[in-house]
Amino acid sequence: MIEIDDLHKRYGDKTALTGVSFAVKPGEMFGFVGANGAGKTTTMRILMGVLSADSGQVRWNGAPLAFADRRRFGYMPEERGLYQKMKVAEQVEYFGRLNGLAPAAARQATADLLERLSLTERAGDEVGALSLGNQQRVQLAVALVHEPQALVLDEPFSGLDPIAVDALAEVLVERRRAGAPVLFSSHQLDLVERLCDAVGIISAGRMVASGTVAELRAKEGRGVLKVVVREAAPGWTAGLPGDLTTDGDEVRFTGVDGDGQEILRAATAAGRVEHFGWERPSLTEIFREAVA
Amino acid sequence: MSGLWLVARREIVTRGRTKGFVIGLVVSALLVGAFAFLPKVFDGPDSYTVGVVGSPAVQRELVEASAGSSRETKVTTRPFADEAAARKAVLDGDVDAAVVDEHRVLADGEVDRELGALLEGAHQTAQMQKQLTDARLDPATVARAIQVAPLEQVSVGADTRYAAARTGIATIVVIVLFFLIFQSAMFVAMGVVEEKGSRIVEILLTSIRPWQLLGGKVLGLGVLALVNLIVVMAVGLGTAAATGFTVDLPPGMTGIVLGTLFWFLLGYAFFSVLAAALSSLVSRQEEVSSVLTPLQMLIMVSYFAAFFTTMEPGTTLARVMSLIPPFSSMVMPVRTAGGEVPLWEIGLAAALMLAATAGMLAVGARIYERAVLRTGARVKLTEVVR
Ligand SMILES: Nc1ncnc2c1ncn2[C@@H]1O[C@H](COP(=O)(O)OP(=O)(O)OP(=O)(O)O)[C@@H](O)[C@H]1O
Ligand SMILES: [Mg+2]
Repeated sequence: MIEIDDLHKRYGDKTALTGVSFAVKPGEMFGFVGANGAGKTTTMRILMGVLSADSGQVRWNGAPLAFADRRRFGYMPEERGLYQKMKVAEQVEYFGRLNGLAPAAARQATADLLERLSLTERAGDEVGALSLGNQQRVQLAVALVHEPQALVLDEPFSGLDPIAVDALAEVLVERRRAGAPVLFSSHQLDLVERLCDAVGIISAGRMVASGTVAELRAKEGRGVLKVVVREAAPGWTAGLPGDLTTDGDEVRFTGVDGDGQEILRAATAAGRVEHFGWERPSLTEIFREAVA
Repeated sequence: MSGLWLVARREIVTRGRTKGFVIGLVVSALLVGAFAFLPKVFDGPDSYTVGVVGSPAVQRELVEASAGSSRETKVTTRPFADEAAARKAVLDGDVDAAVVDEHRVLADGEVDRELGALLEGAHQTAQMQKQLTDARLDPATVARAIQVAPLEQVSVGADTRYAAARTGIATIVVIVLFFLIFQSAMFVAMGVVEEKGSRIVEILLTSIRPWQLLGGKVLGLGVLALVNLIVVMAVGLGTAAATGFTVDLPPGMTGIVLGTLFWFLLGYAFFSVLAAALSSLVSRQEEVSSVLTPLQMLIMVSYFAAFFTTMEPGTTLARVMSLIPPFSSMVMPVRTAGGEVPLWEIGLAAALMLAATAGMLAVGARIYERAVLRTGARVKLTEVVR
């Protein structure tokens, strides 16, 4: 389990992190979201030891995260970095070796990974000759080659085509199944919602929400009650609780306390109720709400 | 430790096949080869063909002198039936000169000076023998009597017999050391900035320690430079041997070669770690040359001091510069190649340079470690030393 505990970081006069804490459990996929400049990259760099925090701690399975453990993490930094003049397979293999794989194992792992990321044909090309998206895949291969015990990926999905997104998602799910905590940041909230077991939302250097998507929903209230009443007398909503928006026969109530039974009664009295239900807020809506 | 080897191996494999390295290797080998070959070109030919017409005595003397001498110059003789044939061969350039009837030399213009002396010597000996024999002296006694041991050369001043060769070797050593140390330090600097600028360091340093990354780079590029140096030396000595220059090589060549290797390793370690430390302060290749200015100055000063030493090896300036690190790494090998240097001076210079290199390794590694992850604006030296 990765535990981030009360991280503080200032760059000169600028405060980047104020008491950031969250945990990523084994076999959990954790989506780390936040606006530009919120502090995601800063947090992840501290986690990977390439930046030092002013205070706070990163723990791995209860103990302070040591270099030897971190070596077995897979890391993809925000600013991609590869040796442009080195061949794709050679490079992935090299990082495998640096992370402790034996020569044969590194070669095998590289071949497998390139196959999965549809890079086998490019194995002998220099990285610099690849398109940006393909370089990104190589970057992923570098992070994944040593079957890491935990993954820390800063915006791994940015710049990938849908096929590559699926391929990457599959690899991540597989790592999660193997029991590794997977932490990644992303601005693609629909993707985060689809893939992640848990989400952390950071805003201006503070964690504003974290937990499973269901928990966040519960916390954000039930959200929006959508009611569709056909042939209703106009003005049937008068006096009902909450704020509402009307679109023809469709009415949305927000800020309703309780379970909305009095609205249902009013609707039934007013006409033929075609739809009555709570709309599950999307992660995007939760996010907007949380950072507002 | 394995991280260090992996990094070193990558440097060797990837840098070793770049155009820059290969061209550097070929050019330096060619230059040194040409340099070793040059004395040959200025020295004139080392073999002559002499035509002979009815001159058995001179012919015998020439053959004997050529076979018995330790000199390089070989003379082969070629008999001709008559003077007309010999004359034609001289004009055609088939022979360098022709001796006719024991008392005339035919040449196309003047006889080459060295050949002239040889022919004159052979002629004198042959005639003396003939005249003594004609005076009814016993031929065997005559032969014994005219056997004269050559003058033995004894210098009462400094031994200057090898001065020219030593100056030549010292000059080559300066140029090669300068070229290789400069090139390797630049390679190290470019490698450091490549990794820092592209943020590969962020991934590398989650897998290995900064000292492994720095050490591996310095080690790997050092191996390449050493290979280059050894190739250059082999080509130089090989050319010298093949062209027959070796006879004039001073004694203690092995010492000069080993000394050059020793000083090269120290100089390389010092300058490459300095290059790594300085270049870790910047994030873009464009900034490398400005941040490396102090290093380039140091190397240039060492180079000029070393060059000055080849010309004025005995001066106080040369002696002082050969003791002060890091200049000593280039000046001392030049001094030892150029002439005799007291052992204590070599020892002192080596001790000082070793200490300076150890200090540079400690400080340089520290600067590198602290600066290499600070991307963005150029890091100030004062922020990372302390
Ligand atoms: N090297 C630096 N020097 C000064 N300030 C910095 C530095 N790096 C980051 N910051 C500041 O710290 C804050 C957090 O930045 P960070 O890069 O962690 O954000 P982020 O959440 O990753 O944003 P994005 O989604 O744009 O990648 C920002 O306000 C940023 O300006
Ligand atoms: Mg970021």
